[in-house]
Amino acid sequence: MRHLILAAVLASLVVACRQSSEPSARTPASSSLAQRLVSATISDPKTFNPLLVVDGASAAAVGDLFEGLARLNPVTIEMEPRLAEKWEISADGTVYTFHLRHDVRWHDGVALTAADVAFTFDAIFDDRVPNSSKHTLLIDGQRVKTEIADDFTIRLILPRPFAPLINALGFDILPKHILGPALQNGTFAQSWGIDTPPEQIIGTGPYRMARYVPAQFIEFRRNPDYWMKDDAGKPLPYLDIQTVLVVPNQDTMYLKFLSGQTDAHSPRPEEVGDLRAKADELKIVVQDVGLDTGSQFVAFNRNPQHFVQNGKADPRLTWFTDPNFLKALAHAIDKQSMIVNCLNGYGKPAVAEISPENKLYHNPNLQDYAYDLDEARRLLKEGGYIDRNGDGVIEDGAGNPIEFTLNTNAGNQVRERMCSMLKEDWTKLGMKVNYRPLEFTTLVEKLDHTFDWDAVLIGFTGTTEPNNGANMLRSSGNLHLWNPNQPAPATPWEAEIDKLLDQGSGEIDVQKRPSYYWRIQEILHQQLPLIETVRATQFSAYKRSIQNFRPTVWGLYRPELIRIAE
Amino acid sequence: MLRYLGRRVLHMIPLLLGITFLSFLVIDLAPGDYFSTLKMNPSISPDVIHQMEVQFGYGDPLLLRYLKWLWRVLHLDLGVSVAYRVKIIDLIGARVGNTVVLALASMLVTWSLAIPIGIIVALRPNSMTDRTLSFFAFFGMSLPNFFLAFLLMFAALRTGWFPIGGSFSVYYDSLPLWGKITDRLQHLWLPMIVLGLGGMASLMRLMRANILEIKQADFVRTARAKGLPERVVVVKHILRNALNPFITLAGFELGNLLGGAALVEAVMNLQGLGTLMLDAVRSLDVYLVMGSVLMGSVLLLLGNLLADLALTLVDPRIDFTRSEGSR
Repeated sequence: MRHLILAAVLASLVVACRQSSEPSARTPASSSLAQRLVSATISDPKTFNPLLVVDGASAAAVGDLFEGLARLNPVTIEMEPRLAEKWEISADGTVYTFHLRHDVRWHDGVALTAADVAFTFDAIFDDRVPNSSKHTLLIDGQRVKTEIADDFTIRLILPRPFAPLINALGFDILPKHILGPALQNGTFAQSWGIDTPPEQIIGTGPYRMARYVPAQFIEFRRNPDYWMKDDAGKPLPYLDIQTVLVVPNQDTMYLKFLSGQTDAHSPRPEEVGDLRAKADELKIVVQDVGLDTGSQFVAFNRNPQHFVQNGKADPRLTWFTDPNFLKALAHAIDKQSMIVNCLNGYGKPAVAEISPENKLYHNPNLQDYAYDLDEARRLLKEGGYIDRNGDGVIEDGAGNPIEFTLNTNAGNQVRERMCSMLKEDWTKLGMKVNYRPLEFTTLVEKLDHTFDWDAVLIGFTGTTEPNNGANMLRSSGNLHLWNPNQPAPATPWEAEIDKLLDQGSGEIDVQKRPSYYWRIQEILHQQLPLIETVRATQFSAYKRSIQNFRPTVWGLYRPELIRIAE
Repeated sequence: MLRYLGRRVLHMIPLLLGITFLSFLVIDLAPGDYFSTLKMNPSISPDVIHQMEVQFGYGDPLLLRYLKWLWRVLHLDLGVSVAYRVKIIDLIGARVGNTVVLALASMLVTWSLAIPIGIIVALRPNSMTDRTLSFFAFFGMSLPNFFLAFLLMFAALRTGWFPIGGSFSVYYDSLPLWGKITDRLQHLWLPMIVLGLGGMASLMRLMRANILEIKQADFVRTARAKGLPERVVVVKHILRNALNPFITLAGFELGNLLGGAALVEAVMNLQGLGTLMLDAVRSLDVYLVMGSVLMGSVLLLLGNLLADLALTLVDPRIDFTRSEGSR
């Protein structure tokens, strides 16, 4: 009955609307201009100053406006030349010489020179400019020195060999002739906000910003003077206009793609089946792009600051540092069911902290903890965790019943579902698990400030440069979740990881470098401060009329070649 | 009258101080702050976050921060948003127009439908028309706005008659004037219906109840006894009195313009104040929240004042200048 009435209401509305509107309100997204690509982003950009970007939407907004010395080739996962035509590294690994292209012009016609590169480094290391590039470019607390050899040659001088440098060189080069005064008078951190007129945002990239209407869209227009050419010598990029709609709701985003208002879409797991079924009708391609580059794991609190009070240690500290206990938990996670129930079947069990998509640095030799409840129970028994009083809850050797709280950030549906599965799995071992989702800010407060937590399911995004995870891996790191900001490593294996990180960043031989990071993954796998869960398969859906659209988990491959079939 | 007005405006000052200070306190009590999200990002160094905290004065004690904020507000400066690093007045200014247009349009739908339907239903209570329309009214009241928004967008997807979300299309600039107007209207229809229908049900019920009550009143019986034609009784005596509470409601609407449409705006991708505020509250962008709260409170208080003034004009029995003590 309810449905009938609803249908009646809807039908009457639809009829009412029909009479009052033009015959067809649906405008095919790319009819008025042939070479136009429309996509959507979840939120407004927060800044147009590439150096100050801390969020995805802003990064996407400035991505096509600026260029770095080098860029990541998402297929080979190696850095390839961009503003720098080529570079040489001195034998001892401390001097990098970059030869800039001679044909690059800023959007206002001024030529790009080595002075712009040096200026960008000055801005990065300026104390008044809060930016994160600094963090990846500081080597033992010292800055990289720049030396302008001539207009198109610049040398970087390092205090010691530092392998992550090359991967860090993707950051955007900024125009000295535009932003120079702002850096001098200390207003750099306020320059190029989202209220800046688009024509004043000057980069070297394939597109210029044409318009930004807050909460509606950003429009980019082709840079006619862009230096890059295709194989036939024709100027790139092919697209005339790119429009990025701001759509703050994922369901709406999906509806927009279904209705043809956007040309490309990154579907959520629950949308993939539906899209595949409709692929012919909608004339779209639904492509499996690869696995999540990040990692979703359960971390256990090992912070004595929280667990030791008045010289008495909380029993939880003993459990969470006991490899037998943690291994039992790892053996009790039903990852296959997790993939089916939480990721709609699109995913793989995660074993190592570094994603298999990072082919060079992922350790393929690790053996996952198989789902085996008997083995888990055996391990617990071995560690003295037995139900002694017959109440159904196991106790540790000292008679404390095993009970802990599992948190995650509320609102992330995948994580919430994963947590309820974890609770179910671990309850089977006779533990009492209290699952409590928390507001993200509350959760961060606990992880970062009060340290008042037991176990947390959380995820970090991954990058191709393994040293970028140092913040989390190093015992003194602020994101060393389980026991952050240690003055000295608390355990021998944490000390070993610290050492391996130093060795890994100092090793410039690309063939030898991975071994250090493989060893780190091995240690994490044995000690289990983090129990890895599953990785979701990423998908991309786009109209068949789009040519040369090559999505990868690391981004689009050569996006300047994208064009719309006439 | 002027003295009354002056006193009402003076009364607003402690009220606004109270509202803003409480909001400030509540935001501060919420765990974490805008930087919490950044802290969990491995590629952002703690130094950056610390620098930003200092820049936005997060280190100061609560009261000092509030007084600083108040001082700026007195100089008509709402401050800078932490997230957008742009003047808050500009952020709000860019969106206020859309929200007002949407709210006015939906009010038009609500009122122009609810009042006549309420009258029709009330004149023949318990008839078939009454029952059917009341059924829909209850149905409309129980259906959440955002859900209705989804249903309509789904209908739009199926039929292709309406654009899905947005305030105007990306080709907007290239359209002639007439095209611009129709383009805006096309985008306005669905949210207008959603918001309008949502409010309509309760208004219609209110109208119905009012009329039914007034129909029993002594003065209506007197009017009938005097032998006035039924039309005059209904229009001059019943309707005029039944509309009184609606004027008060209209005052509230002015304040609701800001927050009421947030969910619908989010679902239908409209560039309005609601989503801006929702976002600000979620990301704990303190000064942006405060700016919106201040604006909302001022609008609500002003709306009430205007409604009270309008009431004195419509209903001679009400005279605030004399009966102020009782309020």
